[in-house]
Amino acid sequence: MRTILRNCVWLTAAVAAWAQPPVAPTNEPTESNRGDNVSNYNVLQSFELGYRWNTNGGDDGMYRSTVNYTNGIRLLSSSLNVQSREGHGGLFDQLQLNTQGLGNDPYQSAILRIEKNRLYRYDFTWRSDAYYNPGLTDSFGEHFMDTVRHLQDQDLTLFPQSNIRFFLGYSRDTQSGPALSTIQLFDGRGDEFPLFQNVNRQQNEYRLGGEVRVLGFRLNVLHGWEDFKDDTQRSLTVPEPGNNPNDLSQLNSFQGIEPYHGTSPYWRVGLFREGKKYWAMNGRFSYVAGARGFILNEASSGVGTFGANTFRQVLTFGNADRPTATGNLTFSLFPTSNITFTNQTSVYNIRMLGNSYFEQYTNGSATLPVYNFNYLGILTIANSSDVQIRLRRWFTVHGGFTYDDRRIHSFEATQQNSPPGTPVGVTQTNLLHSGTLGFRIKPVKPLTITLDGDLGRTNHPIFPISENNYTALRARVEYKLKSFRATAFARSDYNTNSASLDEYASKSRQYGVDATWTGTDWFSIDAGYSRMHLNTLGGINYFVATLGEVTTDQSYYVSNIHTGTLMARFTVRKRADVSVGYSHVQDVGDGRATAQGSGLYTAQPAFQAAQTFPLRFLSPQARISFRITQKIRWNAGYQYYGYREDFLTTQNYRAHTGYSSVSWSF
Amino acid sequence: MRALWGFIALCVLAPVPCLADDYVGSAVCRTCHADLYTPFYRNPHFKSIASGKEAPENTGCESCHGPGKAHVEAGGGADTIPRAFSRLAPTQVLDTCLRCHSQTLSRANIRRSEHTQEEVVCTNCHSIHKSTTPKFLLAKKQSELCYTCHANVRAQFSMPFKHRVNEGFMQCTDCHNPHGSNAPTWRMADRPHNTEQAQANEEPCLKCHIDKRGPFVFEHPSVRIDGCETCHNPHGSVNAKLLKRPVIFTMCLECHTGIGKFGPLGGIPQPSSTHNLADPRYQNCTTCHVRIHGSNSDIYFFR
Repeated sequence: MRTILRNCVWLTAAVAAWAQPPVAPTNEPTESNRGDNVSNYNVLQSFELGYRWNTNGGDDGMYRSTVNYTNGIRLLSSSLNVQSREGHGGLFDQLQLNTQGLGNDPYQSAILRIEKNRLYRYDFTWRSDAYYNPGLTDSFGEHFMDTVRHLQDQDLTLFPQSNIRFFLGYSRDTQSGPALSTIQLFDGRGDEFPLFQNVNRQQNEYRLGGEVRVLGFRLNVLHGWEDFKDDTQRSLTVPEPGNNPNDLSQLNSFQGIEPYHGTSPYWRVGLFREGKKYWAMNGRFSYVAGARGFILNEASSGVGTFGANTFRQVLTFGNADRPTATGNLTFSLFPTSNITFTNQTSVYNIRMLGNSYFEQYTNGSATLPVYNFNYLGILTIANSSDVQIRLRRWFTVHGGFTYDDRRIHSFEATQQNSPPGTPVGVTQTNLLHSGTLGFRIKPVKPLTITLDGDLGRTNHPIFPISENNYTALRARVEYKLKSFRATAFARSDYNTNSASLDEYASKSRQYGVDATWTGTDWFSIDAGYSRMHLNTLGGINYFVATLGEVTTDQSYYVSNIHTGTLMARFTVRKRADVSVGYSHVQDVGDGRATAQGSGLYTAQPAFQAAQTFPLRFLSPQARISFRITQKIRWNAGYQYYGYREDFLTTQNYRAHTGYSSVSWSF
Repeated sequence: MRALWGFIALCVLAPVPCLADDYVGSAVCRTCHADLYTPFYRNPHFKSIASGKEAPENTGCESCHGPGKAHVEAGGGADTIPRAFSRLAPTQVLDTCLRCHSQTLSRANIRRSEHTQEEVVCTNCHSIHKSTTPKFLLAKKQSELCYTCHANVRAQFSMPFKHRVNEGFMQCTDCHNPHGSNAPTWRMADRPHNTEQAQANEEPCLKCHIDKRGPFVFEHPSVRIDGCETCHNPHGSVNAKLLKRPVIFTMCLECHTGIGKFGPLGGIPQPSSTHNLADPRYQNCTTCHVRIHGSNSDIYFFR
């Protein structure tokens, strides 16, 4: 029995290391124990407490953007499980609490479930994410964020095992912290100025619903209210000369407030039934009445493009509505155990409308208010049919057809209309026909081969980069025998159009192999490699001061990403577990040695430099977990991160991170 | 007449339903399988035993494995277990679990889901007796389960910029429903599978990125019509902010050609002649067009 249990623990720990997660918390658990019996309950606890450290060189901002672990004491993970032994506890029968990263890790979470059999089930999830992004490659690095996002979901189900159930729920999502943004002032040829932002966003959602079983059908009704508010403020702390060194613009003072509040009450109705073994149906219908009200009050003073002192105030207010109705209805037939036929119809109708009253005062003179009324409506009706037939025990074929009809209508006023500001309505219909065909072959028990493909044709795609004539092919081979598993996959997605100003061609290919072996209780290994190739080409149209309008260039982008992961785990004398891993991501681009290409597709140096962006991101790690007693382990780990861009060096970094901790279960 | 004979034959040859006497009760199973039964009170399935009110075919071990009388009389052996999961065909596994677990809206599409069609059924991801996670009884940590088959996704989450799935902040099921979902309606071609829609069948991105949801007076149509993936790679990217391109202006220019097929100007507007694209100022589109996901105050997303 103990051998089985130990093997399970080893296998679990070994496979849990596959994806090269951060080196801590420790994967190796203390040996399972039976916990302590207290009254009518069994209590099982474990926690891992340790110290995490890091040192890094190079661009600290990029390190924080991609990794972000810092120094300090952490409750790396913890678990509490209180279970009634007979299933007849007092206030609850089960209590589970799991936490991760508490104590200032950038990624923290706590998950709680309390349940009383047949009476209630309460689920609570809390998460915190410290998001830092210097955004150096965007907007001159002037779009920076250092915010913290907290998310929580609470759900209470009453009578969870009965035919009549009730649901109560609450979710909250907040984002707050300092950020940097920009604003363009004072006229169309003006300048851009960085601004400080105090981000303050909050969403609250309340849910109330129920489910009842009638005539074999389950009817699920949910009514919810989602409230959102954004009270982010923007201000200038010191006078700014702006990004353009060639003009006289300067921003001396700026204050901007734009409270943006709204609510989205919604109804969702679900209806579903399993018709014994021969059919199934389900439907989901929803209606959301989204509405937002806003006001923007912005005052700025400074120097305009030509050196004149300028004061400007902008006042905008109005509202935006977005009623949305959706419906999904699915029927499945299973005439025999070897045939599945499914038909699904979806309807999606969204209308976005609103008004924005805009008034601008520049140096005391008011401009005329502008009503830019905008409307965008999307109605999509889709129907798809799929059939799967198991012809032999070793051979299955499936196919399907999808038809989509999307109608998009917009009503916009632009200054280019005649007369300026006159709203113009435009409607476009967009049809998609696509088919799928695939096989699954299992010639011998350990081997599975799957092949399938999609072929799609759309007319009137809305955007040049929208998929138009596309094919997607996928193949996968898996060999699984006892503790060995190996897979290989290939996938291609081609958007096969000519590359012009209104069409775009892209070729994406992915290949990969990975294998796992967990054959002994003292050694296991997992390795994987994949390559992702992307090649896109589209027409572009732009202006250059010396050339005027350029219409013959093409935007070309090549990415060749190789990723490899390796994780091996050893057990030494049943006392110590050692795991070593390595993760390597390398985009080799199109093979060029410098940012400037050969002039392919464009003569503009900046466009050539944007054609490919080779970089390398690697991360070796090692961890040791030493069993002191059956219930206590000492753990230590080290992980290195190295990030290097081939053409820019400002964002490169290298970081050494590690931790030491004690795991204790009791 | 043929139909009548067929009906009679069906009645005669139909499998005989199990009799109540064939059920021995979980306490009998415990005699030999103490290693499985002793910690079973921690298992959510223990409810069926604790209740004491369920019919024998819905109680404890036999609710999943079938009546145990023959197994007991034979003194053990996998051949005598009516439903030994290691020997069941995938559809039989699904049928067995769905006897009870078909009652949740989130699993309403399970029989037509891509996973079921690929014969990835309950026991491929869930381990009833040797689960590593008490909640949902997963056989492994969730992301590891998914990576087992979706190796290309694992590669995407290894990128320098990614959603924090490996770090444990997020899970695959924040955006996907492995039990099947309704077909998405936010794109018009090769669509993602098993994607769990947000409110009003929107993209799941909007569950967390609440400030991008709007509604706005001036929507960026690409966001609303073809979705976030027009500009972003949701799993991971070598480019900051999960963008599809390392620099922004090429990405914007690929749509803003002035030639498109939609809009009041007969196409997607191209940058005006004041935008000298040889000047680095104009290569950072979002420096001026800061509210690129949508604005209430400016049709050009300036504020």
